[in-house]
Amino acid sequence: MKTVADLLEQIGLGRERVAMVNLSSAMGAQFAEMVREMTERVRALGPNPLDQTEAADDHC
Amino acid sequence: MIIAEQKKLEEIQALVGNARKVLIAGCGTCVTVCFAGGEKEVGILASALRMKSRLEGKPLAVDEVTVQRQCEWEYIDPLGERLKDYDLVISLACGIGVQAMNERFPDTITVPGLNTTFLGLPEEQGVWEERCQACGDCILGITGGICPIARCSKQLLNGPCGGSQRGVCEVNPETPCAWQLIWERAEKLGRVEQLLAIQPPKDWSKSRDGGPRKIVREDLRLVENE
Repeated sequence: MKTVADLLEQIGLGRERVAMVNLSSAMGAQFAEMVREMTERVRALGPNPLDQTEAADDHC
Repeated sequence: MIIAEQKKLEEIQALVGNARKVLIAGCGTCVTVCFAGGEKEVGILASALRMKSRLEGKPLAVDEVTVQRQCEWEYIDPLGERLKDYDLVISLACGIGVQAMNERFPDTITVPGLNTTFLGLPEEQGVWEERCQACGDCILGITGGICPIARCSKQLLNGPCGGSQRGVCEVNPETPCAWQLIWERAEKLGRVEQLLAIQPPKDWSKSRDGGPRKIVREDLRLVENE
C-alpha cells in the first residue's frame, strides 16, 4: 500500500487518494464509518485531476 | 542473478527530457525476478508516466514491450524496425541491457530506468542480498561457500577484523560478519584446518582492477580467429 501511495504522490495525484483498512465481516458499523471518512476525504481533495486534462479520453 | 531497483519517476522523466513518444523496454530475466523491470513493472511505469505527463500539460505517448533477455542480440534484434517510431527508449533492463540497446541501435537513444545494484539472491520475499562481486578468481572452495569478497565490508582473506562484534559487522550491525559465518561453518564441517593456511594477497587484476574483462572461447566461436 505504501508503494502505491508513494507512486500516486510521485505522479502528482496525491497519496491521500488511496487507503487500506483491515476489518472483519462482523464489523459492519466500522466499515460504514471508514467508507464515510474516505468519501469525505476524497470529496475534500476534489475531482480526479486527470479528468480535467485535455487527453482525458485516453486510456491510462 | 542481477539485482536492480527502479529509479524515481522524476529522474526517469528528466532523462526523457523533451521526447514526446517513448518506448519502455522491459527484460524478462533477472530484473523480472527481482520485480524491477519485467512486464508488470513496464506497465506500471508506463501508466505513471502517462498520468504525470498529462497532469503537467505535456502528454507523453508511451508504448510498452518486454523481451526475454535484453542482453542478447537475438532477443533485441526484432525491436529494430519498431524503434524508428520513437524519440527515445527507456530500458528497464540492467546496465548490460541498456548498453546492448545503445550498441545495437546507435540511432536510437536508450536511457536507463533502473539502477543496477548487485549480484545476489532473494533472501526472502522482498529482500535481496549481495552474494558475488564477480572478482574473477573464486575462493568459495576455501571459505566454505561463503564469499568474503562480497560479504565482508573489507574483503578480508584471512579472518575477521577487530570490527567484528558479536557476529555482526562494524560497518552495519544488520550485516552478519562474513568471517564469523565462514568460521562457524568450518567448525561445523570439521574443516577449520583449511582456514589456517595464510591466503596470499589477492590477484585483483582478474577483477575490475585489470580493466574491462573479456572471455574468448575459441571452441564455441563460429568464426575462427586466424
